[in-house]
This record gives sequence, C-alpha cells and structure tokens, in this order.
Amino acid sequence: MATVSFQQASRIYPKSERPAVDSLDLQIADGEFLVLVGPSGCGKSTSLRMLAGLEEVDSGSIVIGDRDVTDSPPKERDIAMVFQNYALYPHMTVEENMGFALKLAGISKDERATRVREAAKILDLSDYLSRRPKALSGGQRQRVAMGRAIVRNPQVFLMDEPLSNLDAKLRVQTRTQIAALQRRLGTTTVYVTHDQVEAMTMGDRVAVLKDGVLQQCDTPGVLYDRPANVFVAGFIGSPAMNLVTGDAVDGGVQVGSAVLPVPRDQLTRAAASNGKVTVGFRPEAVRLTGPGEGLPVRVNVVEQLGSDAFLYTSLADAPDDVLHSADLVVRTEPRTPVASGQQLWLGTDHGALHVFDAQTQQRVD
Amino acid sequence: MTIASGTVREAAIAAPPPAPAATSPARPRKRRQLTRNRWGYAYVAPFFLVFAAFSLYPFMYTAWVSLHETSLSNINGGTWVGLDNYRNLLQSEFFWNAARNTLTIGILATVPQLCMALGLAHLLNYKLRGRTFFRTVMLMPYATSIAAATLVFSQLFGREYGLINTMLEAVGLQAIDWEAGTVSSQVAIAVIVTWRWTGYNALIYLAAMQSIPGELYEAAEIDGASKWKQFLHVTIPSLRPTILFTIVVSTIGAVQLFGEPLLFAGNGTTSGGSSGQYQTLGLLMYQQGWSNFHIGQAATTAWAMFMIILVIVGVNAVIGRLRARADR
Repeated sequence: MATVSFQQASRIYPKSERPAVDSLDLQIADGEFLVLVGPSGCGKSTSLRMLAGLEEVDSGSIVIGDRDVTDSPPKERDIAMVFQNYALYPHMTVEENMGFALKLAGISKDERATRVREAAKILDLSDYLSRRPKALSGGQRQRVAMGRAIVRNPQVFLMDEPLSNLDAKLRVQTRTQIAALQRRLGTTTVYVTHDQVEAMTMGDRVAVLKDGVLQQCDTPGVLYDRPANVFVAGFIGSPAMNLVTGDAVDGGVQVGSAVLPVPRDQLTRAAASNGKVTVGFRPEAVRLTGPGEGLPVRVNVVEQLGSDAFLYTSLADAPDDVLHSADLVVRTEPRTPVASGQQLWLGTDHGALHVFDAQTQQRVD
Repeated sequence: MTIASGTVREAAIAAPPPAPAATSPARPRKRRQLTRNRWGYAYVAPFFLVFAAFSLYPFMYTAWVSLHETSLSNINGGTWVGLDNYRNLLQSEFFWNAARNTLTIGILATVPQLCMALGLAHLLNYKLRGRTFFRTVMLMPYATSIAAATLVFSQLFGREYGLINTMLEAVGLQAIDWEAGTVSSQVAIAVIVTWRWTGYNALIYLAAMQSIPGELYEAAEIDGASKWKQFLHVTIPSLRPTILFTIVVSTIGAVQLFGEPLLFAGNGTTSGGSSGQYQTLGLLMYQQGWSNFHIGQAATTAWAMFMIILVIVGVNAVIGRLRARADR
C-alpha cells in the first residue's frame, strides 16, 4: 500500500517538439482507485508507463510511498501491471504465468503454489491453472493478467486499458469485478482508459488529460457537475454535453434568434476576453417548451433506448458561425411522440447552464 | 408471396438431396475437381516439371546406379550387383571414418554456430545505430564463395606463416599443425563453416525475434526479470520452432559438407588429409566416384547420406511434434 505522486513529471519523445506528458502534477492517496482518461494521444498511457518505469521521465519526479522512483527500474518499484493485450507468456501455463514474478523473486515453490491458488480462487481460475493462454477465452486471459498482478501483492496496480479487448457485455461485467476486487484488496490503483463511462464508474477520482496536460482531476460527480473547462465538459458524459458559443448580449448569450439566460456578473466575466461565451447544458437538463419559447430546433434523429429517448436536433435558425457546434442532444421521456423533421422549442433548467469563456475555454462560476 | 414460396418449395424438391451426392462414386468427383482446378494445376506444373527433371529423376537414377558395379564413363552399362555396394559400404572402414568425421565436424560447427547466431540476433534486435549496416555485414560471409573463403582460411590456419599460429606464438603458445591433426583440422573446418553460416542463422533468428510482442518483455521486466532472464524465459521459448528449423537446415548442411574439407589443404584432394582425418561423407563419395572410378559405390554413399538426413530430420520432426503436444 502506498501513495503515488507525480511531481511536474514530463516526458518528451525524441524528435518531438510537444511533450507527450507535460508537467503532470498528481497526488494519489493510499488505496485510491485513480483513473486516467482522455482521447488517444493524450498522454495517459505514457503517464502510466512513466510510473511503471517503462518510459523515461525527462523532468520532474515520481514518488511511490516515500521513495523517489524516478530513475529506478521497474522491478524496484514494487508495482504490477495489467497490459491491454494481457502480455501473457504463451509457453507458460496459467499457474506459471501467475507465479513467474514470485519465482524470479526467489519465493519457494510451496509458497508460490499457495499464493497462485489463492488468487486463482478469487478470480475463478482454479480449473484452468494447467492450461496455456492459447486455450483460454478472452475474459479468462484478462483474469489471468489480473491474477498475475495480484499474486505479487504489490504497492500499486497499474492497468492499461485492460478491458478494451473484451466484448461490450463482458466489459461491463468485468469492470464491476475489477472495481470490487480493488476495494477488497485496498491496493492503490492507477487505471488508464479512453472510455469515459469506464472512468466514471470505476474511479474514486478521475484525471482527465488532453495533449499531455492534466485538465482536471476530481471525483466523477464533480467532473460531471462542475467541469473545469470546455474540453472536460464535452468529454465527460454520454451523450456529451451540448456546447454552443454565442455573443454576450443583455441578459444572456445569443444563440440563433434566442437568448440563453446567464446571470449578469457571470456573463461579464465570461465575456471578458472577446465578448463571446460558450454555454453548455447536459441532455437531461433540457425541457421541451411551447412554440416560440426558447431555442427553436429541428429534430434529426430520435433514439429510443427504452429507459429514455434521445433527440438529436440542430438549431432551426442557426447562423453560420454556430453551425459546427449546433448539434443539440435532448433526453426525453421514452415514447415521447416526436418524429424526425419536427420543429421543437427547448428551454434549459435554471442553474443547469455551464458557462465558459469562449477564448480561454475555462469555466466561469 | 405465395408464388415465391411455391417456387422455393419446388426448387427444394427438384434439387437432388445432398446426401447421395456425397456417397456417389469417388472417381467422377475427383475428375470433376481436376477439371475445375485445371488452371491451378497448370500454374504449379512448371515447378513439378523442373523438380521431376532435376531432382526426382537424378534421385531415382542414383538409386539405380547404386545397384551396379560401374564407372562414370560407362554409367549406363556396368554389372548388376544388387545390394553388394551397400554391404561393402557398411563394412568399409573409410565409410565409418567419414561418417565419424562428418558427425564431429557437424557438431563442432553447428552448435557454436547456432548459439552465436542466437546471441548476435539478440544484440542486433536492440536499437543500434547503423542497424542496417550490421545486418548486411552479417550476411556477407554467406554471400562469399566457399572456395574463396576456404582458401583465405587455409592461409590463416597455415603451419609456417599462418596468422593464427603467428598469434599463438606471439602469446607464448606452441604453433599448431592445424591440417595434420585430427581434432585441429576438424576444428579449423568447423570454424570456416561457422564463419560462413552464423550470420545467415542470426538473420533468421532476428526475423523471428521481431515478431515477439514488445509487451511480453515489458511484462517480464515488471515481473522482475533481468535482461538475461527475459532472453531465457521470453525469447528462447518464442523462438523454439525457428530454432528447430535452423537445426534441421544446419544438420542437412553438415551431412553434405564438401567444399570446405575439399579445399582446406589447398590442393583439392579428396582424401581429407593424409590419414583421412577430415574426410567427410561428401568427400568420400567424390573420392569413390571420381578418383577411384566406382560411381556405383559413390551412388551408394550418396544414398546413405540421404538416409542419414532422413533419419535426423525425422527425429527432429518427432521431437517438435512431441513438444507441440506438450504445449497444448
């Protein structure tokens, strides 16, 4: 068990101008489940690999517990990693795969067998101990990879998109199992994913990265309710938050012919840079209103999910400059009698608007 | 709708049931397949024609010759002696001498050659500056003519002015008469073979190593494996089929070893040294057929070499099969 901290850690690949990870500052508490999330190329995997010791740290430092491990090789860091493709040794049985690290550490055969069997029991692998990875299903291989990590009883688990090779249903199942297992073992875990649903459901805290820069790190609830900038607002949540940019006018933000109401002082601060303001509202914070009231939109597609329905709409009178961001998603009660092509008017719930400076992209409260 | 379904039903009745088709006599079916695939056969035919003309026919003809007492000038004549040549061969001390030499030179050459190739491939697999240069250099010995290489090496191993003896004397050791001794001459020949084939095998290993996923090494590194343990527990097991392949190829090469011992003394005699100390089976065959004019006996030796190769490859295949089964 240990805390982990990134201190101004950067990684610059040779022949690249932009750092892959740029001055990352992150404190991870003992026993915490931290998820690194972001689009591909955001530096999340690189950050994890820096922590693992598989990637150099060009500046800054990384501390596990109270030990600075910046320049230590992986084996001295007391970590275990689960790889995206599992990286199981193909010529070893499940038991040998799981016990390999223990064998290298010089742990006796009996002790090894006990620990492997224990882990196998937790992961429901007891019947497969003598099989080779080739003879296992994807889900079983994934569990072997997990088992290889937990038998070592390390200070930190590192997981690099461990679910991305599973089919959708198994992924949902396994994600709950991993989260439960982590709570039970209480081992500090850093988990990388590009899937924001995975991030939100699994993490105690979620760190959102973009272009190597940490955007925000907080609990899933705060990320959802108070995104720090436009990127986080658009990245977290599915379907994504609706974001529209318009001029600040008296009483709010001009979007097409309508004005979205924003309190005066918030509006002033948000418009300080260039007079434009980005407003965001989540699909569930939108009401259908009467004709002529609120934002006029045209329905493009209706998605019926059973539990609710999503209307994919665009602004009916969108001027050219908002067209690109004018796809508005609305969550409604299921079986709402709405057809595509229909014109609707949208109102937003009070206090549900997120306001951002259109220039700096930062949140304004 | 009704029309459509009616048609389907009719079609189902009209079509012959599949089961009788499967049990119908095999010959017409085979012929039908032959005509259907005629272009496929046409395209592979050239290979088999060339194979038949230059491999299969000589092969059978050698077997035929081996049953006769004859010489090269009268190869179609001669007297039928049945298996006499084989009996003579098995009773000949020259054959057993050559077989023993072939075996020892083979081991002396193949084992270090493959071990070194493995090590070199491992080094070349690192991100080196000028990697392509090193890889090309690796293949140079293979591209060199045996004659040229052997002549150079026989100079190096020369008794009076050879570079190696000069160096031995420089460090205070005794000069060795490489060509005269049994062990020394065989070692020298093995060195030539090793020099020539190590790079070739290294490149084969390198190709196989590059298909090993990098994640495996990272996983091993995190599991606490040193570079050496990674080599032992990740690289070697992944290369097992390739290693088996190179062993088979090198063994075949070793059984057929001819050029190096022929030219080692510098005069191209087939006796393999004054007391036949490095006469291989290939040399013996040549000596029988071309120096002693017993082409029938030479053909017998050629067949014996083929049988030896067959046995070795067979044993290798069985080992590979057993390993693969154990892996499952």
